[in-house]
Amino acid sequence: MSSLADYLKGVPYFSALSPEEREKIAKDTLERSFDRGEVIFLEGEPCQGLYLVKSGRVRIFKSSPEGREQVLMTAAAGTTFNEVPVFDGGPNPASASALEQTTIYVVPTKTVNALLAGCPAAQAIIKLFAGRLRHLSSVVEDLSFRSVVSRLARLLLDSAVVQGGPSPVPRLTQEEMATMIGSVRDVVGRGLRALEKAGAIRIEGQRILVVDPEKLKEAR
Amino acid sequence: MPTPEVNPELCTGCSDCVEFCPTGAVAIVNGKATVVKPEACTYCTECETICPSGAIRCPFEVVLVKQENPKK
Repeated sequence: MSSLADYLKGVPYFSALSPEEREKIAKDTLERSFDRGEVIFLEGEPCQGLYLVKSGRVRIFKSSPEGREQVLMTAAAGTTFNEVPVFDGGPNPASASALEQTTIYVVPTKTVNALLAGCPAAQAIIKLFAGRLRHLSSVVEDLSFRSVVSRLARLLLDSAVVQGGPSPVPRLTQEEMATMIGSVRDVVGRGLRALEKAGAIRIEGQRILVVDPEKLKEAR
Repeated sequence: MPTPEVNPELCTGCSDCVEFCPTGAVAIVNGKATVVKPEACTYCTECETICPSGAIRCPFEVVLVKQENPKK
């Protein structure tokens, strides 16, 4: 057995596999080395596969357009990362860079998914879980990088529907809006007034009319 | 004109909403908050803010206005 196949035995994803299956995975797996600070992959890029840290440490992070960063996790030796796009088929939800001289294994997406080929139910469940994890990482991004007004603007944009259309018009109290964007009612009230002053919305009685979606998208 | 929704099971009849309503639209009727002058209600949501038992809700409908001349 190759040393990599042996190493995979200690990785939770692969520990239950037969030695032959692990050998097959080892054959497909690539080894890559990165210097300290070097970018391993970027958010939004197509996914190359499941990453496993052989040695060193990796920082997984989200970046704001202004250059701020929010670390989601630090992966040490023996830890896997970038599972979400492997299982939901989307682009990388975050970026990764080496915190020190690091060597990683890349198990191609196709190889990982082949392990689930015989079980469509597991495939469907894991895809759903991965999608939820992707959504949660976008929630972290919003909370880290966006102001309350910007988060409120996005909520209104995402919620608003055309009156008389196929979807029912959502009905939200300011308290409910606050809980959806991680804020409090008073701040939501002020945010609504700010968006109205900016000409993005108009409040008429119990209706919040989204009159300028572009202004909502630009709300800071 | 829609008015605030009062949950009679939660309302204790404390009359805080009556005191704070800027237009006098709310009164206590049979021990419960009631919008007695719906035409006077401006949906300012003060009653929802002040209600100590969470009995009053002022939900907003979020409506997308169709643009007649959408921006290119």
